Amino acid sequence: MFTNRKTPLVMSSPYLAWAIIFIIVPIGMILYYGLTDSTGAFTFANIAAIAQPEHAKSLWLALELSVISTLICFILAYPLALILARNKMSSEGILTTLIILPMWMNFLLRTLSWVTLLENRGVLNSILGALHLPQLRIINTPAAIVVGMVYDFLPFMILPLYNSLAKIDDEVINAAQDLGANKFQTLWRVILPLSLPGIISGVTMVFIPSLTTFAISTMMGGSKILLIGNVIEQEFTLTYDWHLGSGLSLILMIFIVINMVVSMISDQKEA
Amino acid sequence: MKNMKPLEKIYFWIILIFMYLPIVTLIVLSFNQSKSRAHWGGFTFNWYIRLFSDSAILNALANTLIIALISTLAATIIGTVTCVALVGLNKRTRAVIMGITNIPMINADIVTGISLMLLFRVLNFQNGFLTVLIAHITFNIPYVMLSVMPRMKTISPSVYEAALDLGAKPWYAFRRTVLPDLMPAIFSGALMAFTMSLDDFIITYFTKGSGFDTLSTKIYNEIKRGIQPEIYALSAIIFTLVLVLIFASNRMRSVQRKDRELTEKQIKFRNIRNTVVVSAAGLGIIYLALLFGGVFTKNSNQVYVYNYGEYIDPEVIRLFQEETGIEVVYDEYETNEIMFTKIASDPSSYDVVCPADYTVSRMISLDMVEPLDYDQLPNTKEHIGKRYFEAMEAFDPGNQYAVPYFWGTVGILYNTTMVDDEVNSWDILWNPKYKGEILMQDSVRDAFMIPMIRNGFSINTVDPAEVEIAAQDLIDQAPLVQAYVVDQVRDKMIGNEAALGVIYSGEALYCQWENEDLEYVVPDEGSLVWFDSWVITKNARNKENALKWIDFLSRPEIALMNFEFITYSVPNETAREMIEDEELRNSEIAFPGEDILDRCYSEEYLGEAGEKLYGEAWKRVKSAN
Repeated sequence: MFTNRKTPLVMSSPYLAWAIIFIIVPIGMILYYGLTDSTGAFTFANIAAIAQPEHAKSLWLALELSVISTLICFILAYPLALILARNKMSSEGILTTLIILPMWMNFLLRTLSWVTLLENRGVLNSILGALHLPQLRIINTPAAIVVGMVYDFLPFMILPLYNSLAKIDDEVINAAQDLGANKFQTLWRVILPLSLPGIISGVTMVFIPSLTTFAISTMMGGSKILLIGNVIEQEFTLTYDWHLGSGLSLILMIFIVINMVVSMISDQKEA
Repeated sequence: MKNMKPLEKIYFWIILIFMYLPIVTLIVLSFNQSKSRAHWGGFTFNWYIRLFSDSAILNALANTLIIALISTLAATIIGTVTCVALVGLNKRTRAVIMGITNIPMINADIVTGISLMLLFRVLNFQNGFLTVLIAHITFNIPYVMLSVMPRMKTISPSVYEAALDLGAKPWYAFRRTVLPDLMPAIFSGALMAFTMSLDDFIITYFTKGSGFDTLSTKIYNEIKRGIQPEIYALSAIIFTLVLVLIFASNRMRSVQRKDRELTEKQIKFRNIRNTVVVSAAGLGIIYLALLFGGVFTKNSNQVYVYNYGEYIDPEVIRLFQEETGIEVVYDEYETNEIMFTKIASDPSSYDVVCPADYTVSRMISLDMVEPLDYDQLPNTKEHIGKRYFEAMEAFDPGNQYAVPYFWGTVGILYNTTMVDDEVNSWDILWNPKYKGEILMQDSVRDAFMIPMIRNGFSINTVDPAEVEIAAQDLIDQAPLVQAYVVDQVRDKMIGNEAALGVIYSGEALYCQWENEDLEYVVPDEGSLVWFDSWVITKNARNKENALKWIDFLSRPEIALMNFEFITYSVPNETAREMIEDEELRNSEIAFPGEDILDRCYSEEYLGEAGEKLYGEAWKRVKSAN
């Protein structure tokens, strides 16, 4: 569509310049800080620091909680996306709006609202108390952090799942049923594999932010529970050790790279 | 939705309730008369009225909107142009560029934020607004590209080429053939970018400069010390507005669908109308920003002040600005360590800061503060008690750098209806009976002070063995602790959320006014006495104004205003004599007697190695759960 072969290069050069200065170079800076000490000498100490018990523990806990949150998000979102896709709800865009709308309320406020709901003498416990039911004791525990993560990131799971499920042709499902597959078989052998791209992008979009959050854990965990995100944040804002903070960020990037590779492989399979 | 099965319907509603329950809660809170989230104090519209006179919140809102708008616009243009261009590139280049584009999407926000912060610091680029804008454009471009790219791939160039063959200019042909097909994808990408920009906290948090806040960073700051209900009111308004807009646009679309057979003229009219509406909205937002935002105004007569949260009567700032004509750029921090890191990494970010004793000596030893010129501080010389200056010699020899602002002790605040033991020792914080009812300070030195005193060590020890014992004490205590908090201790104690809390004396006084079941005690083993004082940062850009600021606060009537607002012990002797309420003037909490002060110690700077020792130990305590 371009008559001059240079035009596309010229057109994409502003973005390329932008991406190099503000995406590639900054990541190079993290690499630099992560691999040097305060004198500027090369070291692996900042990365090896992940083996220190308090760091390893925070990483492990973050992994645990983010895996649980991702699973719960998936279990909650899949049936919903299925229901919505089967009923062709999105033609009006209402669905996307309903899911995105909460995001226009600041996520910190929404999370704070959960604190109000879950507090020991908070809203839910007052209601439970009035009904003479046992009290919830989950605020400031890992369970509360999971609630916060699931709540904040659920839309990121629903949307891609819905998108990939809505694309599945009804004829394919009818064909499966005609060929004698029962409902479960249709779901397991036909729908699930076809929605794999949506699953992968949904999982990525929930897992990575959960793994690396520090705001949710601070608020829902009462600053009692340190996740790897909190440790990194504190290195930058509290202890003033950018080298260690960058070193630990590099560890996080390993998970991000793994995630990228997985989605790339699945992309290729599809192609 | 009509043909959903009942079970499906129920499930759909359960998820919706889950998603909207917190939002409903927020809206309800916006009508709550009580400032505390914990209880309902009656219905009020007050917060809505107050919102419109709260320039800090409106300012943050204006910043948020303008950042979201400009970054969305820029990202949409750059992203769309790039997508169109990519079609003309070979597959390999395209894959590389899309790969780079994926990085900010998949990368953790914290890593993106930190990496940009490092870049800006190294380039010594400190404009709070521009750095945030660049960061937002950077993470917004991918949302546009990932939305436009798939659509672009499906567009066949033949119509466009036909238009060219028929003599159309390239831009005209593109506008009439390709662009209309791309429009829905561009629009949904832009919407996503706008939403992400509005909702972003982490990246803004790391890239913002001094004196610049978006709603997110402002809220995060406030969350830790009790949020102003005006914010709930604002969110309720935003939510309702968006809801109305969405329903209106949906109705418009369904109306449009009904009368498909519009004439060309009508369509044209509609397009013009839409353009007018959109640009009017944009202009409105820019106007808002101009009105409230600090974005475009650059006043050279300024002073950058960095103070603890809720540590001044806002009226004082207003009076200072009115009298001197100096604009106060005012930011707040939670702990000494956060302030110190900020100044250390960006020395010229603030002119005048308010650290505690041990941080003052730390800053002196690292040559981070400017000596004071007492000739320019007449009020300070006249009204601040000599004995306070003498006491401050311990961390500021010769009183060269620091002017005392407030002082106080640390003790235990307890709820008499929930604690039946006598409270006179720190040991009660280790009593398993009060599991989950104890609030500790989320500040390294103040938290370690307690086990140090309990074990009979100096609160300034740097003996690794003693620090280890203290850390072990805190680790043993951790399961009993409900939360580690700083300013929140106030709201939680007032709201009966906990039975025992470690608290600063001034906060204790305030809590007692709000909840009469609360008592404050300085334990018999001893405690901490602290001074918060104003210092001017090295090479401050507005040194003269900073001196004016300090001396203004030393005026008796101003000191009195601040005292009545924050109720900490005031070192301004003249101001103390002016306190009208006799009970308050002689309060044991506000002005502890010699018997209490004799068993209180002050914190000193421990040297970089010592600070590190405590920092490491604290991290172990916090990850003990």
